[in-house]
Amino acid sequence: MKNGEKGKLPSIKRRGKKRRSKKADKMSKLESSVDEQTPLFNNLSDNEDTFRSIYKDSSDVIFRPFYIGEQVKAILIYIEGLSNIEEIDDSVLSPLIKSSMGENYFIDTLIHKKVSTSSVKEVKTFSDSIKEISSGNPVILVDQQNSGFALGLSKWEKRSVDEPKAEMVVRGPREGFVETIGVNTSLIRRRIRSPKLKMKSMQAGEYTKTRINLAYVEGIVDETVLEEAINRIKRIDVDGVVDSGVLEEFIEDNPNSPFPQVIATERPDNVTASLLEGRVAVLVDGSPFVLVVPVTFYSLMQASEDYYGRYLIATSIRWLRYLFLLISLFLPSLYVALLTFHQEMVPTTLLFSIAASRAQVPFPALVEALMMEITFEALREAGLRLPKQVGSAVSIVGALVIGEAAVSAGIVSAPMVIVVALTGVASFTIARYSASAAVRMLRFPMILLAGTLGLLGIIMGIIVIIIHMATLRSFGQPYLSPMAPMKWSGMKDVLLRAPWWKFNTRPHYSGNYNKYRQSDNQKPSPIRGEE
Amino acid sequence: MIEKGKISTLQMAILIYPTIIATAILLVPAITGEQARQDMWMSPIWASAAGFLSAFIAIQLNKRFPEQTIIQYSETIAGKFLGKVIGFVFIFFLAHICGVILREYGEFVKGNFLDTTPMIVILGSIAFVCALAVRGGLEVIARSAQIFVPVVTVLFIFVLLLLSPELNPANMLPVFEKGLMPSLRGAVVPAGWYLEFFMISFLLPFLRDRKKAVKWSAVTVIAVLITMVITNMVTLFVFGSLTPKFTYPVMEAARYISIAEFIQHMESVVMAIWVGGIFVKISVFFYAAVLSTAQWLNLSDYRPLVFPIALIVTVLGHWSASNLQELEIFLSETFPFYSFIFLAVIPVILLLAAAIRGKRSNKSSN
Repeated sequence: MKNGEKGKLPSIKRRGKKRRSKKADKMSKLESSVDEQTPLFNNLSDNEDTFRSIYKDSSDVIFRPFYIGEQVKAILIYIEGLSNIEEIDDSVLSPLIKSSMGENYFIDTLIHKKVSTSSVKEVKTFSDSIKEISSGNPVILVDQQNSGFALGLSKWEKRSVDEPKAEMVVRGPREGFVETIGVNTSLIRRRIRSPKLKMKSMQAGEYTKTRINLAYVEGIVDETVLEEAINRIKRIDVDGVVDSGVLEEFIEDNPNSPFPQVIATERPDNVTASLLEGRVAVLVDGSPFVLVVPVTFYSLMQASEDYYGRYLIATSIRWLRYLFLLISLFLPSLYVALLTFHQEMVPTTLLFSIAASRAQVPFPALVEALMMEITFEALREAGLRLPKQVGSAVSIVGALVIGEAAVSAGIVSAPMVIVVALTGVASFTIARYSASAAVRMLRFPMILLAGTLGLLGIIMGIIVIIIHMATLRSFGQPYLSPMAPMKWSGMKDVLLRAPWWKFNTRPHYSGNYNKYRQSDNQKPSPIRGEE
Repeated sequence: MIEKGKISTLQMAILIYPTIIATAILLVPAITGEQARQDMWMSPIWASAAGFLSAFIAIQLNKRFPEQTIIQYSETIAGKFLGKVIGFVFIFFLAHICGVILREYGEFVKGNFLDTTPMIVILGSIAFVCALAVRGGLEVIARSAQIFVPVVTVLFIFVLLLLSPELNPANMLPVFEKGLMPSLRGAVVPAGWYLEFFMISFLLPFLRDRKKAVKWSAVTVIAVLITMVITNMVTLFVFGSLTPKFTYPVMEAARYISIAEFIQHMESVVMAIWVGGIFVKISVFFYAAVLSTAQWLNLSDYRPLVFPIALIVTVLGHWSASNLQELEIFLSETFPFYSFIFLAVIPVILLLAAAIRGKRSNKSSN
């Protein structure tokens, strides 16, 4: 997307019936005959037949016919394992069956007088009923009534709230998101109790019908960003959204960039803070990673713990992180450039010892660096994917490959081992995994540039990276802001983490109104010197 | 308008400052030193008059034609045919100057770091990088400059601080040995650089807050002035009367740095500074050339022109001089008058003509 204009997404062709094969057409004919807003029939047996044909060959869908008050035919439809069966028995089926004869059995009366569950919803069309059934809410249809009701009794196995695995903190909340969207929204809602917190519900995926929730705080959020996010999610037309990562690729601004333009986080406290800064969070059912937009490059460098520790220490740690960002991006290429083109820049004694250790190595510095960096990446990948029991084997082998054995065999030089190890450590200091992946990827072209044009090549590489980052936008927000373009209000949280009593204004990416987030002069200053 | 982006006045200042300074800090001390001797630190002060004049003309013209560049308003002022001729000559000037700057860069890199690399590779690589920036539009150039310029400035100050043990202020004496004339004569060449302030006329139409333009232009001229004076002083304090003997005195001075036997050979840092600065400088000139061409041809987009013009500029850079000596003669003898004609005489004539004939752009009726 270019300069400042946003919201001009290219229109995509919705797949229509034409693109589906004939066979698929036939298969979905029945479904499509009741597809859209077809109202339920008056006759129960017609309804039952339709549902049975829709759920043909679905052994997990249970149809339970019964009589209300031994008189009126009714049927209960639910999916095994998605609903709370005990609750259905106790508070729905038995009161209905045992109810006395002679009363009228309009849906309204049943809902209000007979059913004792808290969440009941009337359904009038087939598509509504299907939606309720597939999300685990049992539906009851009654004879001679052209509507039924759905009971909010969904219950299925879910992972319990656990410590986030990818984002650890020493100090700070230890809860992490899980795969169930309802739990995730509750984790956020528990932190922001104000009714201003909104959860806009959306859906994506032709077959998965994945629930998506857009969380934002009304009055703080930038309306244009919110609208943009809604539009981008609306236009998605895919078979399924399996994880928020799929959604991420559909809604980001520049898909051909190594840099993430969306933050994916597992931490509710992180999302809460982002919402209070005026950002929008996208929760996707089935994914423990919540997406946060808009994002600037600097927000990728902020760890959640920065905000819980002492600000001086947090600031210096942040500087350390910036330093190691540079190291992980440039150290190997700098080493290659210095050894290949600019030996005069290395202090003499250091040069001697490097030369001595490189005397036996048969490769030029460029090849050596590429070889070692690729090996390191391979080890990292291997350690990540393997089952835990094999993990220790990888680290032992790794220590041999990048280590003493490789050096004493004369294949790599000791300084190169140090460089690669330092680079590896450096890449792990970057708070966001996706950002560190970008940096690790960019390291390789940088090494090649350094090997061909020396320091000049490195500078060219830096310029190209900066140009690229200056071109990027995340939901209309320039990627390098608040540094470029300069926004003073945002600078408090970039190079330093200002003390909390100084964070008086919201960052620049929140809406233009509602600028202040706390009152001034809150620096603690207790009266001293009194006995 | 062709350019859709908008920049702030601060961004304009950050773009223009390295546009003047990037090449000036390396070449100007030696060239000024030749004429002004130990009074060379004064020359940039006299020369800054050219900077104020240039900025004044650009702003005055912009007040009459707020949304247009010189290519467009020259047609309004001088008529269709003459205006097109002026526009064409101006485009040629911009492209040529861009080539010359590329060549200055190429000579510096080839002479100091990559002596076996073919010139065309050095020129082509930076031209490609700048073309990428220009393709991204004015906003992208401005934002990249906003990242580079602070870093470059800090590094430059760092180098100057490291040089402080080598400084010998006595080299400054005697002041005014031969009166005012030597320093005035030394001011001619820096004036050529200051005249490049007219380049703001290509940025002014795209400002978000044009009211601050006057203030920030003045601030930029003063910042350039201070930087040039300090650079000249430092080289003078380090080398004294030897200064004119070097091509790149700052570079040579950086070679002197040796602190604790560890921080030494800072010339690579100087190169980093220079490449960062010259990237902005070339991008600004290149952008002006591309934008002017597109406006001259009444195109709706300048992006398709970027890479063809990059090729032309690279070739112009390759042909602009056969060696460093020729380039230096061009810069110290032809360039001041060359840029004076294009960046001062033509704009002044246009401004006077517009004032006499009472021309204004139609939009600014208020």
